[in-house]
Amino acid sequence: MTDTSLETVDATALERVVTSTDANTLGRYWLGAGSLALLASLVAGVLVALERLDLSGAEVFGSADEVFQFWSAHRVGLVLLAVVPILVGLGTAVAPRQVGTDTVAFPRMAAFSFWTWLLGAGTTITGFLIDGGLGAPDAGSQRQAVALTMVGLLMAIVGLLGATVSLLTTIVAGRVPGLTLRRIPLFSWTLLVSGTFWLLTLPVLAANTVLAYVDLRGRPAVRFGAEDAIWEQLSWAFTHPQVYAFALPLVGIAFDVVPVSVRSRLANHDVVLALTGALGVLGFGAYAQTFFDTPGTPIMREAIYVVDAFAAAVVALALVGGLADTLRRGAANLGGRPPAPMVLSVLSMLLLLGAGVAGALRAVDPLDLLGTSATGAQMTLTIGAALVGAMAGTLWWGDRIFGKSSSQGLGLLAGLAAVVGVLLVGAADLVSGFLGQADFTGASVAAAGSPDSGVDGLNAVALVGVVLVLVGALGWFANGIKRLTGAPAPADPWGGHTLEWADDPSSVEVTSERPLLDARQTEGASA
Amino acid sequence: MAAGTEIAPSAAPLARPRTLLVGTAFATGAAVMFFGALFALYFSVRNDTLAWGAEWFPEGAIELKPGGSLMSTYAMATITMMWAHYASRNEDRIHGYLALGLTALLGVAAVNQTVFYFNDIGLPIDHSVATTLLYVIVGAHMVMTGIAVLWMGLVLLRAFGGQATGRHQDLVISVSIFWYAAVAVFTVIWLFIYVAK
Repeated sequence: MTDTSLETVDATALERVVTSTDANTLGRYWLGAGSLALLASLVAGVLVALERLDLSGAEVFGSADEVFQFWSAHRVGLVLLAVVPILVGLGTAVAPRQVGTDTVAFPRMAAFSFWTWLLGAGTTITGFLIDGGLGAPDAGSQRQAVALTMVGLLMAIVGLLGATVSLLTTIVAGRVPGLTLRRIPLFSWTLLVSGTFWLLTLPVLAANTVLAYVDLRGRPAVRFGAEDAIWEQLSWAFTHPQVYAFALPLVGIAFDVVPVSVRSRLANHDVVLALTGALGVLGFGAYAQTFFDTPGTPIMREAIYVVDAFAAAVVALALVGGLADTLRRGAANLGGRPPAPMVLSVLSMLLLLGAGVAGALRAVDPLDLLGTSATGAQMTLTIGAALVGAMAGTLWWGDRIFGKSSSQGLGLLAGLAAVVGVLLVGAADLVSGFLGQADFTGASVAAAGSPDSGVDGLNAVALVGVVLVLVGALGWFANGIKRLTGAPAPADPWGGHTLEWADDPSSVEVTSERPLLDARQTEGASA
Repeated sequence: MAAGTEIAPSAAPLARPRTLLVGTAFATGAAVMFFGALFALYFSVRNDTLAWGAEWFPEGAIELKPGGSLMSTYAMATITMMWAHYASRNEDRIHGYLALGLTALLGVAAVNQTVFYFNDIGLPIDHSVATTLLYVIVGAHMVMTGIAVLWMGLVLLRAFGGQATGRHQDLVISVSIFWYAAVAVFTVIWLFIYVAK
């Protein structure tokens, strides 16, 4: 590995940690920090779910504004501080190897991006904890703390953008000869597609944030920085369709894991390339801002939004169909006990399909689900799918990233807990949406949309769901810690098809998208 | 060389992965999207405000001349950047230094003009939605110009340090991509803020 850190000179451990530019090490940093942020976000989610058990007042928190701060912290944390960084970490450690190189492009920038994001994540969390956050409906936050939260969010976005530029450049410019873009492994391909859309949409979120920050610092805020307006102009990044762009790499993980697990080639590789590209396009959500509403017709009721929602569901269904076809053709090779990453990656694809269906239902105007908890259901299912996909990815590539083995059983249990939890939250919130419960319930029955009485039971189910996701995340984190002290891992525990499993990628002739499988079959034929 | 000696054709050089150019293209795309978002908000809010019959900028607050002067500066800097690119391609160091230095100087001049003008117009940032948007867009563009000027300084330093190699040429092309994007963004500012108000 190329590392321009201080390892060669007499450096302290701290200096080595801070100055490392090794792709694998940076990938581990992202994974570790992202999983800690995931736990923090889920704790916020549990507290909000507890608060929702009684819609008549603020029992856990002091006021509706505090409920809002934690509610928005849960969403921002889950997306920008947890799931996306975890996927970036997996990409930083795996994608360079998949394209046949041992380092990311611009390694110093990649390291700088991680530390910028980390500082930003810490600042954002601090801002939320000191009565800041991204505004509040009754303007009850501390203005300075709100400003601090936005500075933290901006730093986190800049860090993610830098890491994405580094990753995409590696995939585009770092490929070994013969590895055309059509032949790159699907995880790298989905990173390329989703990363492109992160580069197109995160700057838009940054622009919204800068505008709100500048306005907030004025006296008084004119419009963008008004405390009851900040979330309104940032929320598009945490809902349909933008969440698809954030979650897309889970598709690549599934399509890399399943064919190897069932010892089969993917019959429709080009179709999967096209479908993931289409899902990336459909996931471009920067247009869905309230500022772009035409008078009398919110953007979410425009035809483009509705078509986008239905098309995403169709694309997700087609992708699940492609995966099912691969599973069917290789079912005979699977044996009695399928690998844990395969089980989890298939489940993550099913969750994505569920998210697509929830998104499509939400867009049906007569159902009147916009603004209800169906919005949260769609977000939870999509980001939950990405989380489960990332769990599958770390189980799959973890031996290569950490060089140590981990417990596949514990990993599977943790992943299953997360899957059940995400399903419970998604289903309960979707049904609550039909019963009229608002997305943000506030601290009174009126603010919660005066929902029917059935939502109390459903909110209890959602609470159990969030707790299960937290338990799953804790199990996944514990498995990761256990891996650090585990037995040395074999170089290629799965019999992989793609370059990240090769000891020397430069010695492999790439003539298809599965070069190692080609080499094995050639050897088998000549023997 | 002795007559009749045959020279074996040397092997074709390996295609150099143009990492810097690819990375710059991605980063520039992200920067352009940042401004794209600000412009989209500007036009959307302006459209709504005017539809209500309200005033956007106070009459006479935004003058045409300073904007025209800035546009001329950026236009000149585009020509000098093309000159730098051409000189780099022909490995002409002296012209390369001159052209890059002039472009950086014009960039600094543009920032200086903008600061002077905005100190002079007497419109506070929190006067209205329009002025908040104006200051954010113009301020962000000054940051973009500043980054480009710093980058040019880095390229110049490397060139003075004797690193005018193939990679140096990539550096010049990269900074030019970013600079042209900055000029393109300013062209939109000039047309829709300074001219159309």
